[in-house]
Amino acid sequence: MYLAAGSRIAGALPIIAALSVVFQGDLRGDESVRQGYRLAPKAFRAAVARVAPSLVTIETFGGVGPSAGRAQRGTMSGINRPGEGPTTGMVVSSDGYIITSTFNFIRKPAIITVILSDGTRKVAELLGSDETRKLCVLKIEGVSDLPLFESAPRSELRVGQWAITVGVGYGDEEPAVSAGIISATSRVSQRAVQTDANISPANYGGPLLDVEGRVIGVCVPLTPGSADVGSGVEWYDSGIGFAVPLAGYEPILERMKKGEVIQPGKMGVTGKPADTKTGAGVVIDKVMRGSPAEKAGVKSGDRVVRADGDEVLDMTHLITIVGRFIAGDEIALELKRGEETVELKVKLEAGLEQGAPDEPAPRAPEPD
Amino acid sequence: MSVSDVIKDRAMGASMTRRRRKNFAQSVCIALVAAFAYFTATTACADGTNEKDSVFAEALAYAQPRCVKLYGAGTNVEAGYATGLIVSDDGLILTAQGIYLAGDRLRAVLADGSTYDTTLVRRSEPLQAALLKIDAKTPNYFPLAKEPIGEKGDWVLAVSNLFKVAANKEWLSANLGVISLRTRVDARHRTQDVPYDAEMLLVDAITSNPGASGGAVIDMDGRLVGMIGKLLESKNTNTRINYAVPADLLYKFVRNEPIEVAESPPASAGDGKASLGLRMFTVGGMRSPAYVDRIVPGSPAAKLGMKRDDLIMQIDGETVKDLRDYERIFATLRPGVEITIIVKRKRDVLSLQITPEAEK
Repeated sequence: MYLAAGSRIAGALPIIAALSVVFQGDLRGDESVRQGYRLAPKAFRAAVARVAPSLVTIETFGGVGPSAGRAQRGTMSGINRPGEGPTTGMVVSSDGYIITSTFNFIRKPAIITVILSDGTRKVAELLGSDETRKLCVLKIEGVSDLPLFESAPRSELRVGQWAITVGVGYGDEEPAVSAGIISATSRVSQRAVQTDANISPANYGGPLLDVEGRVIGVCVPLTPGSADVGSGVEWYDSGIGFAVPLAGYEPILERMKKGEVIQPGKMGVTGKPADTKTGAGVVIDKVMRGSPAEKAGVKSGDRVVRADGDEVLDMTHLITIVGRFIAGDEIALELKRGEETVELKVKLEAGLEQGAPDEPAPRAPEPD
Repeated sequence: MSVSDVIKDRAMGASMTRRRRKNFAQSVCIALVAAFAYFTATTACADGTNEKDSVFAEALAYAQPRCVKLYGAGTNVEAGYATGLIVSDDGLILTAQGIYLAGDRLRAVLADGSTYDTTLVRRSEPLQAALLKIDAKTPNYFPLAKEPIGEKGDWVLAVSNLFKVAANKEWLSANLGVISLRTRVDARHRTQDVPYDAEMLLVDAITSNPGASGGAVIDMDGRLVGMIGKLLESKNTNTRINYAVPADLLYKFVRNEPIEVAESPPASAGDGKASLGLRMFTVGGMRSPAYVDRIVPGSPAAKLGMKRDDLIMQIDGETVKDLRDYERIFATLRPGVEITIIVKRKRDVLSLQITPEAEK
């Protein structure tokens, strides 16, 4: 290596770069910025290589919907019509549990198989799912010591840091990579991290990585307003992508392993904007009969001023706060009832219909 | 020595410097050079336009005069405009196939605003590309590399006439991304299968926009990595794909050399139709998974112990999603040529070697 002979001037150059930064007080004209960009692709490749052993390729057979040809009308048309796959997943426990996105099973396939990074193919069973995060868990049998990935602590995430997505959805053995940055560390009721790296059916179920190859989250289609399996896919490759962090998610993961379906939590109330004279918040309009809110003692006319410790600005905000929870969770509310302040906890439930049978379904805003 | 070599030298030099920190004479040398660098750096900043500010500026400045805007006839749903790449000093221009090639006239607007009528030299079906010619000297052109340029994760810049937002002499639009993967993609355009039949370079810069077709995908040094291809969707993902036709394939096209298309069916060991002795379960229609219904006694499948309700998932590396896939792939098999099939039996996945016989 000719460098061993020593080019002292070359050796000095990084220091020059560093010094010129110090002297100028900013990064203008700094060669190290360019150098950083030069080196980034190497870091991207290293990050992908680090997670690769935990990546799996998912193939499905059978199920509803066309696999090719003419698009059907209705919900299965356009981008909502699923592709032919394969799709991506990640090993979350060495004994054969795999996390992926519910989007990948939108056709309700009869058979699911998983190809591990070493090429082994296994028949997989679909266990539980989380409708609020579009995640689900698969199980394959007869495996042990599967390689696991490392998660990036959510507290370390910063807007602007590198973010890399990986997926096998284009059908090649090699995963495709996309690089971008973290756009927001908390979105969709704190359920997701937002990135401008491309996220699409090509990598739903695959990881969003930091530059060290640690998993920031699992790529999923997501929209703030809908829990439909296909919602959010229309934002594919748009610069708006979401990944669900797994750090701290273990309790829900355990429930999914047992086959539970995690659903959005509802209170069973309708609200209207608070009168500006009385202050911010949401005034409870109707309380559904038998609803969690009724059981907890929420009454029509109560003004919700705080939820989960945060001041409630309006109905949209309240919906966002409730979205942090899932069915079965308790949410703490602070209400104003006349002059009185009432604090109570509502245990959220899933699957509430809009309005009780003897009541007309309320118009917007929607019950929450 | 390329820019990247210099960078590498500097990076490697850094660790060497740490090892030799005790060398006083070198320290003095560093200080002197540092002072010089500070002087030049601040001087360079004096007019507020330091080239080094923009990591990608030089590459883009190199690419712009080598790209052209193309204007032809369009329809309501297909853009009548595109981008082209100058690839020789005598006016050869590469672009992607599109409706704009079909009209009476296709104009090329060069970076200096000069406009020329183009003539079509030839088309490439597997690359869905076209070679045009203008009657002009074009000293600024992209040399085409014989070998692939760039690897997965490398920065790329897409330079194109997207949505024709760049008017007349205005520079084309630039988008930043990385190379995602070089692969073959089963593609279609709207509802029709597309005969694009070569490797493509998937990128994560969004290139799937009207007018971007034929644009340049370059690396940080301005080298042509590929050409933005025709608007296509992937059948795997049902999404529009962002990709470039790799430069090494363009090299062949411009020289009129054959493009390597997808593997042809395996060499024939025997003529006629192949048979494994399987009767498939067809009641659910051609969209149903490929379940075995009956096995012909004495057939290759029977000798192998294949069973009713076995699901055929893969034949020779190709996924069999349904009976349509099964029949399509099966039609390419030849008697006497061993193949590997992957079969699901209950919860087991079996990989079986089987040699079809001639259909009786």
